[in-house]
Amino acid sequence: MSRVVAVPPSPLRAFWLKWRFHINVLLLLIPLGFMPKYFADAALFRGDTGLGERVAGQVQVGPWSLTLAEFRNEGPSPDPAGPMKFFNAALCDNCAEQVKATYLRIGKPRSLRAAGVIFFGTPYRMGAALPVPERTPADAELWVTMEGWDGTMHQGSIPLSQASPATIAWLNKQGVKP
Amino acid sequence: MSKKSRSKLWFLVHSWLALPIWFFVLIVCVTGTLAVVSQEIVWLANPDIRASKPSDDAEPLSFDQVIAAIGRDEPKAIVRSIIRPDESHFALTVGLSYPDGRTVEAYANPYTGAIQGISPSFNFQQFTRALHGWWLVPFTHGYSWGWYLVSLLGLPLLASLVTGLVVYKRFWKGFLRPTLRIRHGARIFWGDFHRLCGIWSIWFIAVISITGTWFLIQAILGDNQISISSEPIVPVIARDKVPLSAPGVPAPMIALDEAIKIATQRIPGLDATFAFLPLNAYSHLQIGGRGWYPLMFQTAQLNPYNGEIAVSHLLSDRSPLEFVTESMRPLHTGDFGGLWIKLIWAFFGLVLSMMVLSGLLIWTKRTALATLNALKREAKGQRAPIAKRAESSEVHS
Amino acid sequence: MNMMHPARVAAALLCAGFSSPALAHNPMCECKEIPGEQIQCKGGFSDGSGAPGVTLDVIGYDETILVPGKLGEDSTLTFKKPSAEFYVLFDAGPGHVVEIDQADIQPQ
Repeated sequence: MSRVVAVPPSPLRAFWLKWRFHINVLLLLIPLGFMPKYFADAALFRGDTGLGERVAGQVQVGPWSLTLAEFRNEGPSPDPAGPMKFFNAALCDNCAEQVKATYLRIGKPRSLRAAGVIFFGTPYRMGAALPVPERTPADAELWVTMEGWDGTMHQGSIPLSQASPATIAWLNKQGVKP
Repeated sequence: MSKKSRSKLWFLVHSWLALPIWFFVLIVCVTGTLAVVSQEIVWLANPDIRASKPSDDAEPLSFDQVIAAIGRDEPKAIVRSIIRPDESHFALTVGLSYPDGRTVEAYANPYTGAIQGISPSFNFQQFTRALHGWWLVPFTHGYSWGWYLVSLLGLPLLASLVTGLVVYKRFWKGFLRPTLRIRHGARIFWGDFHRLCGIWSIWFIAVISITGTWFLIQAILGDNQISISSEPIVPVIARDKVPLSAPGVPAPMIALDEAIKIATQRIPGLDATFAFLPLNAYSHLQIGGRGWYPLMFQTAQLNPYNGEIAVSHLLSDRSPLEFVTESMRPLHTGDFGGLWIKLIWAFFGLVLSMMVLSGLLIWTKRTALATLNALKREAKGQRAPIAKRAESSEVHS
Repeated sequence: MNMMHPARVAAALLCAGFSSPALAHNPMCECKEIPGEQIQCKGGFSDGSGAPGVTLDVIGYDETILVPGKLGEDSTLTFKKPSAEFYVLFDAGPGHVVEIDQADIQPQ
């Protein structure tokens, strides 16, 4: 309401009265500030900047192999199903036709059924959301299970510390859970 | 409370709803307007997304023919999805995965299957939608707080509509006698403009504010893991329903056109306009499109090895609640009935943007006038009554 | 589709309107001990949906299936605590499993 009443206002108050409804222009700083991140994310999703923010390396899985990358170089993100860490991967050039499915799990799987989360995507770029239990030991291994079209199964592993140092840092920060 | 002071109060409420955040509201309205016609803007700017006919009698290719054509041109690329846009002047949007790890949208000619180009890294359509929808605030977990910030505007917008109609006495008369006085000064003009636009946009403001508020509810439900979907969840195909085959020989899948035929038989009236191909050996093939009700999609998820439909989500499967909630998004964006509906939405989007501006102008003109009056009277040494009169003079007009 | 980055979900929500491949459906399962030497497990998905009819097996450390089961209409399954060492496997399909070791089931 324009209480521009008779009392001669102080300069500060005059300034406030004049500009108070225009302060919200500053809200425009929010999208401006997030714009670099928006475009970096867009490039990351498209794969213009590679498989992920940090390529962890090759994992040999029997006769096959894959390139494993952290989608983001950061610890797991909260999810209703527990903390999730996103990994991306690409199959080796000559195993794209050979591999029926690829799975990821912290610790050695008990069986093919319990091989962990399955990768979605194409052999060139696929992703999986890996649940990371909060009490995962820092020396845990990340196991990759691959299944052939005839049902054969091969396994390989990479230390979690190598696959995702950020996850180890996150685990250490969490502290040991009972 | 007297009638006069009550209407003064309503006027105050009406003013305060948008005034302190007018610029934010304005930008959300303007970007929303742009987002409605963003596809058309890209069509004008980028020839790659136009569906030019090679000859007058050219017939659109089937999805399998498109995939075959892409396979000839780019043998290494893998097709992940094909979407046939609603309007026939747009090229097909094909999700492609390249050996270098890029997964991009490519534009394929619907008549020849030729890849006319891939979406540029600056995607205008997505950018305007992100700016409008969540102010570019990233989604880290759950909905972005930008989404909440924008969708919260649905409430003051709805309140503006209601209070506006309360303040505007006998507004229905405005339909019969439209008034737009041009020669009576800026304040009169903007006042007339605001009211005239307002009454003709009642339906649109109601639609946008209610659907906008739905986006807020959707985020609240989503972030609290409350699902109202009647669609059964079958994340993947069971292991025993995927055939074993010889080492190194992927199990054969049915043709995409065959899958579309199966889905069309199962879903009467389905106009299959999109296909999402399986994303691993245990993933379904999804076929979908609109049915008799243009605001919702019907989908079928098939086992790509034997064509068995695992999950179908038909119009008839939807609960009445889902009819309402699923209609919200298309009603907000206007992308359910071709170009003309989009143009109507864009026009009224522009009108709504102008209403924010005219509202602000009315306020500033009136304030300026009131200030002027106040100063004049002050000069005459009549302090007390002036302020009062200056204020009450703001109520009507 | 399980693997879906949050930003993709957002983009899909507003851009396409094609709902189903976009939403995250991570499997979830919790088990607790209830009176009478019984264990009750409840399954579901991260979007808040239940999981009636989904397989939940109780498997011994030697990989023999001790209790083959399916969740009931209320997305739960109750079974008698096995005497042998076991784990619970909520199995919504390949790559959509939750494994709960007996050591992680809270006693009453």
